Amino acid sequence: MGILLFITVLLIAACGLIYELIAGTLASYLLGDSVLQFSTIIGCYLFAMGIGSALSRYIDRGLAYRFVWIELLLGVIGGCSSALLFLAFAYTQGFQLLMYSLVVVIGILVGLEIPLLMRLVRGRYHFRDVVAHVLTFDYLGALGASLLFPILLVPYLGLVRSAMLFGVINVLVALWSTFLFASQIATVRALRSLCVVVLCGLAVGLAEAKRITAAAEDNIYADEIIFSRDTRYQHIVLTRFKNDIRLFLSSHLQFSSRDEYRYHEALIHPGLSAIPVPRHVLVLGGGDGLAVREILKYPQIESVTLVDLDPEMTKLFSTNPMLTALNQKSFLSPKVHIINADAFPWVDSNTDSFDFIVIDFPDPTNYSLGKLYTTAFYKAVARHLSVQGLMVVQSTSPMFARDSYWCIAETLKQAGLQTYPYHVYVPSFGEWGFVIAGHRDFQLPASLPAGLRFVSVVGLPAMFQFPPDMSPLTMKPNRLNDQVLVRAYDQDWKDISH
Amino acid sequence: MKASRRQFLQSGSAALIGLSIKGGPAIAGSFVNDSFQLGHQLRERAQFLAPKQVEKRSVVIVGGGIAGLSAAWRLHKKGFTDFILLEMNDQPGGNSRWGENEITAYPWAAHYVPVPSPKAVYVRELFEELGVLKDGRWEERYLCFSPQERLFLYGRWQDGIEPAVGLTVADRDQFRRLEDHIHMFRATGKFTVPMEVGFSDSTADLDSISFAEWLRAQGINSRILNWYLNYCCRDDYGATTANTSAWAGIQYFASREPEEKGPLTWPEGNGWIVRRLMDRIGNFVQSNRMVHKISRTSKGASVFSGDTEYRAEFVIFAAPTFLGPYLIEGMAPLRDFEYSPWLTANVTLEHLPASYGTDPTWDSVFMDSPTLGYVDATHQSLRTHIDRTVWTFYWALAEGSPAQNRQLLLDKDWNYWKQAILHDLERVHTDIRQCVSRIDIMRIGHAMARPRVGAIFSAERRKLTEPHGRIHFANSDLSGFSIFEEAQYRGVTAADIVASKLGGHRISS
Repeated sequence: MGILLFITVLLIAACGLIYELIAGTLASYLLGDSVLQFSTIIGCYLFAMGIGSALSRYIDRGLAYRFVWIELLLGVIGGCSSALLFLAFAYTQGFQLLMYSLVVVIGILVGLEIPLLMRLVRGRYHFRDVVAHVLTFDYLGALGASLLFPILLVPYLGLVRSAMLFGVINVLVALWSTFLFASQIATVRALRSLCVVVLCGLAVGLAEAKRITAAAEDNIYADEIIFSRDTRYQHIVLTRFKNDIRLFLSSHLQFSSRDEYRYHEALIHPGLSAIPVPRHVLVLGGGDGLAVREILKYPQIESVTLVDLDPEMTKLFSTNPMLTALNQKSFLSPKVHIINADAFPWVDSNTDSFDFIVIDFPDPTNYSLGKLYTTAFYKAVARHLSVQGLMVVQSTSPMFARDSYWCIAETLKQAGLQTYPYHVYVPSFGEWGFVIAGHRDFQLPASLPAGLRFVSVVGLPAMFQFPPDMSPLTMKPNRLNDQVLVRAYDQDWKDISH
Repeated sequence: MKASRRQFLQSGSAALIGLSIKGGPAIAGSFVNDSFQLGHQLRERAQFLAPKQVEKRSVVIVGGGIAGLSAAWRLHKKGFTDFILLEMNDQPGGNSRWGENEITAYPWAAHYVPVPSPKAVYVRELFEELGVLKDGRWEERYLCFSPQERLFLYGRWQDGIEPAVGLTVADRDQFRRLEDHIHMFRATGKFTVPMEVGFSDSTADLDSISFAEWLRAQGINSRILNWYLNYCCRDDYGATTANTSAWAGIQYFASREPEEKGPLTWPEGNGWIVRRLMDRIGNFVQSNRMVHKISRTSKGASVFSGDTEYRAEFVIFAAPTFLGPYLIEGMAPLRDFEYSPWLTANVTLEHLPASYGTDPTWDSVFMDSPTLGYVDATHQSLRTHIDRTVWTFYWALAEGSPAQNRQLLLDKDWNYWKQAILHDLERVHTDIRQCVSRIDIMRIGHAMARPRVGAIFSAERRKLTEPHGRIHFANSDLSGFSIFEEAQYRGVTAADIVASKLGGHRISS
């Protein structure tokens, strides 16, 4: 029986440490700053263990009965801790409060375990043997857990299932203890039944945990991945969390269905509504059809030409029911013509003129994309503007990438255009900027299409005001032979993340 | 990418019998544009056909490289139409020849022109005509796109070719001191492009020692700086600093101060300029017309090519000057003209190597490689997405004697050079053999004039630049080194001299 007893010590020690590691890892994942997270969690946990040890002296009777209860509680609370924390992070503001509460509760329970156990077995061994063996196996358990955790548990099980698994172990210890200390417990049967019920509950949790794990484990995509494909040009990923669908192109967030209307209304309507009689519209990029959805709100428009590099992208947004619901089947409109081509050569070789041109490319993260933000490109695009024509350019964030934003505005200016920069707040992106440009004056539109959820006539003037922290900077223009924008963009984001 | 059915069958059947080729797919290719045979016919003074017909022309231009084409361009602009240009090869352009496959056009040799300073009057005139310079601004599409250059050293890439990482304090100090020297030389205004504009006897001392000796005398012994300077000399002159006159070494750095971030370049390199020139004066150009004899006559000169004798009032000899003594009756052998042999290759890649390393870059150079690295022909494409590409690989055979290296070029077969090129690329791109489908190689025995010690102030060279009776020399080698601007300058000035001499009895269009 001795060795089995000490294996119990080893297991409960491992369980305790695992919960602590899970809390630390989760907090590091979700909040960042792993040094702070691990330090505070270990501190709280050890302190709570001390409280538990102190409290143990107040337990006089029914030691075995209470030990089993502690194991059961630990199994439930510890086992669910990871899932609880994930859900708290997603749905509440109280993640940290819950996390430290859990750490303290688990710490107290773990702090109670060893003193109780030592008192339970003190009659069977010499005191010095009890202390030596219990502590030896306690530390051995901690070693095992600390090795298992990074090598096997996180990579193969994930955080949610690891917690559940060790919850199960705690409950098994509880069940096992009812046999081990059967003589010291009055209500053995009732306790055993309870253990089995809790065990079943945790087993279900372990099976179900996979869903939360899948949603949680990926470093980039916090939500469930519902579509993932490597096309010739990019890596397309769609994620969903409840009703929020997000599109990532080569790991960069393109939209979140919760607030994309803000982005696309702001991209289209200030410019397009300012054109007296818009008939022909060109969209460069925008393979998700969301900009086209906004454009089709103008009944007088006769044609929308969309040029997007990736046929798989436009096909996906023409056929997938979830996505066509989002873009209101804009690609299926007879007015819309989709051309899958590289934008710069297409703009160079095409001779049509357009009343409104939307330039909605991915951010200038590399020199290839950077070509689409140069004076040469804007000059080539401007040749397609009709007399009343205007263009609008998605221009990164004037807040997070202020240099880049004003560099794009300057580039448009150097391409010989008048520029009208503006910005909006899109929760999933933060402050986001656009520039309207043309050969003519731009005046704010007096009316907008009905049914817009974000852009309004009264709200428009404020969009063209820049507070001091986003106000214009003097930048060099981005040219093919001197792509200052790509370097500025890189630096802007480095400055934020450090 | 979809493999062709043939590729599939090849790899499929090879795999079936366990014989898939070790080290990657088969690489096709051959030597191209060889002109050894033609050149050797001249050297050995082979028997040529007796003329069967006579044609009269005011001017015959011999050689259709940039010098000859520029002479034709100039004559045409001045209203002359009674001239002809005879080119030995099947394609004009000389060192600015170009090729094309289903992926892209690519250069065979010269692939850029530095942004010319206001002193390069004729180059700017040409570029204004071609829309490269508009209202004082350089057309963005013809300026080399970002990122321009990168250097592989210490197992990583850095931006730019001038070494910037891992420099010691001493290295930096020497870089700064050299820069100070260059500033000083530039300020004298005696180092210019074209070189004739600022040329001054007061700089003659610099031509009497090698660049390597001059550097030693200045205490510039930094290994990394010397590597860089050696690279520059190999790149522009096909020679090491030890075989380059100090004057030429300084000229390389002191003659340029670009007003715009360049250089100017096109997918087919300077072949783009050749094409534009050919649009204008192609009617006057006859290819596959090797000249085998030029004799002076009482009224001018006779130029013999194939079975035709062209009776000309003036000849503009724009072919490499070293050919003069083989062609022109009575011309004394030349002593001061030396040429560097080169090898260029166009390497077709089905995809970039996984080891590419950075955003696609125009020019990639490997530190401590005997070659000059490679230039990406699709870099000037406006597309954002490029799968397949062509790299033009440059190798000036700078070490050792030019004659021996020319022999090496002749002796070794295509497979030898193919392996040598792949080995060099493998220094950096370990998976290169998986990417390459074709390597075409061009051997150029006399690729560029080598400005060795004494070449610039050579009396022989300077004499040949002067107006010369009925035959005027025009090759870039008259400047002592072969660059586009010098070739154009020599061609245009020879045409101007001939035009002014023709003067009254010019036949206007």
